[in-house]
Amino acid sequence: MGRLTRLAPDQVPPEIREMFRKFLAERGNIPNMFRSVAHRPEILATMLAHFRAVMGPGTVPVPLKEMLAVRVSRLNSCDY
Amino acid sequence: MAKQFGVGDGAIAGLSDPGRFPFPPDQKAALRFADAMTEGGGEVSDDLYDDLRRHFTEAQIVEIAAVIGLFNYFNRFNNAFRMDITLTDPDVVVRRAEEAATDDGEGDARTLSERIVEILAQGRRYLWVGVYRREKDAMVLLAHRGPSTLPHSFRVGEGNVGAAAGTGVTRVIDDIGKGATHGASFAAGRSELVVPVRGGTDVLGVIDARGDREGAFGEEDRALVERVASILAPALAGGHATRR
Repeated sequence: MGRLTRLAPDQVPPEIREMFRKFLAERGNIPNMFRSVAHRPEILATMLAHFRAVMGPGTVPVPLKEMLAVRVSRLNSCDY
Repeated sequence: MAKQFGVGDGAIAGLSDPGRFPFPPDQKAALRFADAMTEGGGEVSDDLYDDLRRHFTEAQIVEIAAVIGLFNYFNRFNNAFRMDITLTDPDVVVRRAEEAATDDGEGDARTLSERIVEILAQGRRYLWVGVYRREKDAMVLLAHRGPSTLPHSFRVGEGNVGAAAGTGVTRVIDDIGKGATHGASFAAGRSELVVPVRGGTDVLGVIDARGDREGAFGEEDRALVERVASILAPALAGGHATRR
């Protein structure tokens, strides 16, 4: 069991609730990390914006970025 | 995650040891850069940087470094808090199972069972999940997902699968090592959830799920698999189900 409590949509400010709703609609879940970071809504909002800017379409092919993410996670022994 | 973005299985496996997999030179350079940035103090040699520069613009290198930096941030954050892997919301799993049942139309038990075990394994990260169908006095495996080889049939009353079939009652086994009823079904997983698929008073089959740790199945998964069992029931009733 994780160390941080995870906030549910009804425990977060409206703008974060809208982001949670989108996650649920698009991928069928709200990542636990984001539900935990929601304890600090400003950090979560900018984290999500940064995540999209970095991992979304840019100048590097998305599949290569996904491969780099997997490689780094393996090096860090992070199953999450 | 990477799979749905068009990364092949071979490449994903190759990421455990990129030096031994034939990645194209540009990908190889980016992966070596990821290793250098992640390990130790993050020292990147001139040779490596020159190699990177041959394949990518500065804008691209900024983007690549941002990916590597971001995942180091996320990984360390999640490791520190022992963050649990995210599971699919039970209501969404049920909706997917309902959609599979609707697509199935004709009610082919095997096809729908294949879809259902896939939905459960993928959405809830079960170590192993299988659907058994009752055929006379035996429970016969119709579909499964997971690495281990479990018995393809149980007699009704035998093991947890057979017991659930005999009683028509859900069984949750928090510690698979304990309890005499488990003798017949080998050690696959640390905990088990066995849910009968009922059609009226008949038991048509059983959904058997295994967890990779003790007590993996709480009330949420029990309720979820029971809902999925009721979605599967009409298809199992249409097959060779035998009345009790």
